Amino acid sequence: MIRSSIERYHPADSFLHADSFPSVWCQGCGIGTAVYAFIEAVKEENISPKKIGVVSGIGCTGKVSECLKLKTYSVIDGNVVDYAVQLKKKDQDLTVAVFLNNADFLLSGAKDFIEAGKRGANLIIIYVNNFICVISENKVFPITPFMRMSIDNEFELPFNIPHLAKSCGASYVARWTPIHAGWMKYSLIEAISKKGYSMIEVISPCLIYDGNDGRIQDAVDRMKFYNDNSVMKNEEPTENLDLRSQNKVIIGKFVDFE
Amino acid sequence: MNVEICIIKERCKGCGICVEVCQTDVLELSDELNSQGYRTPRVKSAEECLNCGMCEMFCADFAIWVMTKAEEVGA
Repeated sequence: MIRSSIERYHPADSFLHADSFPSVWCQGCGIGTAVYAFIEAVKEENISPKKIGVVSGIGCTGKVSECLKLKTYSVIDGNVVDYAVQLKKKDQDLTVAVFLNNADFLLSGAKDFIEAGKRGANLIIIYVNNFICVISENKVFPITPFMRMSIDNEFELPFNIPHLAKSCGASYVARWTPIHAGWMKYSLIEAISKKGYSMIEVISPCLIYDGNDGRIQDAVDRMKFYNDNSVMKNEEPTENLDLRSQNKVIIGKFVDFE
Repeated sequence: MNVEICIIKERCKGCGICVEVCQTDVLELSDELNSQGYRTPRVKSAEECLNCGMCEMFCADFAIWVMTKAEEVGA
């Protein structure tokens, strides 16, 4: 893209590499909205771009570190949270945010996630959950919603990530969908100013793989589906938060203490 | 409202979310294609814009935003 063809710049363009656009994400993907909410939260808190570290791993979520003009690190699968802990140890003034996806988290990085939470590392974890691990293809994965079709027809209860984060000792746990981008922004502002381990789960539509299963391929229909099938319940006990495909997705802020 | 809606057409992926979330139907999908082959939105009636910022918030590709115009002296 030729830069001289742009007459004016987007308000977030000071945080973005303009050459990395158009981005690799599909139309209607939730990762872009999460990045927008993160940039808006950083702007609201008036943090210098040199004092923010962003760590991401592999896959579509790993491309976050390519498009942001901050201190970004793209590391190998499974070492994401561990790397962020080391980064925070090295420079205590740095605000460190971690963009995780299912492959970085449940496939190989779960031990680091639990250990960092237990030690109370001062991190912001943005976990982009799109119900998909491409490596597992159509087989059952720990996050596959209950009673969803899979190739091996085994039904098992999905992993309850907010409950795991709370039992690890997280001081801030929230869950949003991309439709609730405004709430996501204020949630990130609260998480940045909080001392302690904070986790925000973003339930993001994956139109390529999730669309094949749910038969909703259009971006706007997918957005309406999440709007109709989510219900906001703040301070809900985290035991009730597992995802089942027949029930509505419960969103909101669940844990908040110092 | 004294606002201007800016669209970078080369960034757009034609998902149509900005057209859907607009409460006052300012935007519509045009037949104009960009270099990637996506249908880009265009401004239908800019005077009805309320500057709520919903199109900017939901655009995952940072392609659309609303700017308030600088006030012209004596206009």
